[in-house]
Amino acid sequence: MKQKEFLETVLPIKDKLYRLARRLLVSSEEAEDAVQEVFLKLWKGRDKMKEYSNPEAFAVTMTKNYCLDRLKSKQASNLKIVHSNYQHSDNLQKKVELNDEVALVFKVMDTLPEKQRMVMQLRDIEQFEFHEISEMLDINETAIRVNLSRARKTVREELLKKYNYGIS
Amino acid sequence: MELANIDKLLESYFEGNTSLKEEMELGAFFNSNKVPAHLEMYRPMFKSFSEAREVQSTRELKLPIAKPKSTFMVWSIAASIAIVLGVGSLFFFQNTGLTAEQEEALMAYNQAKETMLLLSENLNKGASKITYLEEFEQGTSAINIINQFNETRNKILK
Repeated sequence: MKQKEFLETVLPIKDKLYRLARRLLVSSEEAEDAVQEVFLKLWKGRDKMKEYSNPEAFAVTMTKNYCLDRLKSKQASNLKIVHSNYQHSDNLQKKVELNDEVALVFKVMDTLPEKQRMVMQLRDIEQFEFHEISEMLDINETAIRVNLSRARKTVREELLKKYNYGIS
Repeated sequence: MELANIDKLLESYFEGNTSLKEEMELGAFFNSNKVPAHLEMYRPMFKSFSEAREVQSTRELKLPIAKPKSTFMVWSIAASIAIVLGVGSLFFFQNTGLTAEQEEALMAYNQAKETMLLLSENLNKGASKITYLEEFEQGTSAINIINQFNETRNKILK
């Protein structure tokens, strides 16, 4: 597979991988590093890529595994994740002015367990079908629905708290 | 969309039972300006999803340029072999140290040798043919024996 052909296959999913990495690693710097690493791995195994029925799902799985490994090694070395995205100007903040509630949703999402976070990212943001998410995360569709429901309800609860506080 | 329908969709949304199409309908509804007050609290949720969908990676991808490098390597190896062979052969032929006249003589000698070889080869072929002739003669002598046999037989019969 030539470089041009490779890039045509993987570049359309670059942003999706980046967003998933950022959801998991929180830091945008680390997410960019993760994307770079995943693409390097994909490039090295590019001859095998044609064998996969769904290269996109394969790339998402690789990103997920890479990020979870990073998180694990971080916990092991007791490093604190730097939550820099919400204080500093980031391309998201530059583009759209976030109101408090939207910022709250992101904050709540980042406190969710990893599985719920990934499922919510892949479904509510990337809008993948359940069977695709099942392939990407290697969990069955029922488990996906359960995790998704929990994640959505947690976000709702937090919004409700804020809403009620605002009213009273 | 009817509000009753939205309430229903929302309910199954939080149970994780909506389809992608239904979720897109919900997203479109909550990102519109027709959201009634009692559903206002859900707006930030769908708004944040659509905003998060817009986030893009800003760093350019860096891939090792493997292919051109390897062809360059192959060519450079091929070129160096060609150079070594060229220089080597140059020295090899120069080291015979013959003048033009001597070389001409050598060439003539080699040519003569070749013709001689060719000649002797053909001569050998001819010689091998002669052995066949000998066999023929043996054959004829054998026939003579048969003739003699016939003669003596005739004599007996008479």
